[in-house]
Amino acid sequence: MDPMKAQQLAAELEVEMMADMYNRMTSACHKKCVPPHYKEAELSKGEAVCLDRCVAKYLDLHERLGRKLTELSVQDEEVMRKAAAGTG
Amino acid sequence: MLRFNMAAPAESTDASLTVATGQSATVLSAENVPLQYSLLLDHLIGDKRQIKDLNPTVMGALPSPRKTQEEKMIERGMESCAFKSLIACVGGFVLGGAFGVFTAGIDSNVGLDPKDPLRTPTAREVLRDMGQRGMSYAKNFAIVGAMFSCTECIIESHRGKSDWKNAVYSGCVTGGAIGFRAGLKAGVLGCGGFAAFSAAIEYYLR
Repeated sequence: MDPMKAQQLAAELEVEMMADMYNRMTSACHKKCVPPHYKEAELSKGEAVCLDRCVAKYLDLHERLGRKLTELSVQDEEVMRKAAAGTG
Repeated sequence: MLRFNMAAPAESTDASLTVATGQSATVLSAENVPLQYSLLLDHLIGDKRQIKDLNPTVMGALPSPRKTQEEKMIERGMESCAFKSLIACVGGFVLGGAFGVFTAGIDSNVGLDPKDPLRTPTAREVLRDMGQRGMSYAKNFAIVGAMFSCTECIIESHRGKSDWKNAVYSGCVTGGAIGFRAGLKAGVLGCGGFAAFSAAIEYYLR
């Protein structure tokens, strides 16, 4: 699979991936940081600080796990390639 | 839709390897070519991804006009601890001044000359005394208000939650700091008293 095709495919998938990540992040951080008993419409200082931290951690996690996944995927493909070369 | 067929890691047995190879060979793609996930992942979440201007509207939020940089800066300033304690200081000053003048109004020995207590004080002396008392109350209230607001904001930022405990903790710190000047026991009493007062106010407000 050549890099151009990979790039095109990635461009198609990216919007959906980003939207999914955004929705999950919103849902998770809302559950963590905003207690369900609402006393006012504005976000208080504590909640705003918590949301900043939550988003930063979520994106950091996303990046690290993505890198780890890519690593594992590379190892996996090498193993499969050796197996295919062995049998073929 | 493509499925993520993550095959077993390198330490797997031969049986699962052949299964994995079989699975990846049948994964559907545009031209029936097996997908190389590492390449795809590099473009999606790795180093080769494109720089995108992420707009929340595209990702599923409600369409709303973007905030300008100045607007964001002003909002950040107004939410900061320094601004809040400044507001509390000014408010405390005004309130303390009013309270002091009012108390002086109902106090019978305002303006009395300590050297000659039987002489009726003149209007100017009374007014000057009232002003001094008002100013003294104003300064005290301003300092207490600023300290309470500042510590509450700092504690709330540290904890990341906003509930009644922030007011209690900062009440203890403020009361303790004020009372500590008169000794340790007075500090502890000040802490307890102010914390209880803050708790009562929070209970009433919430």
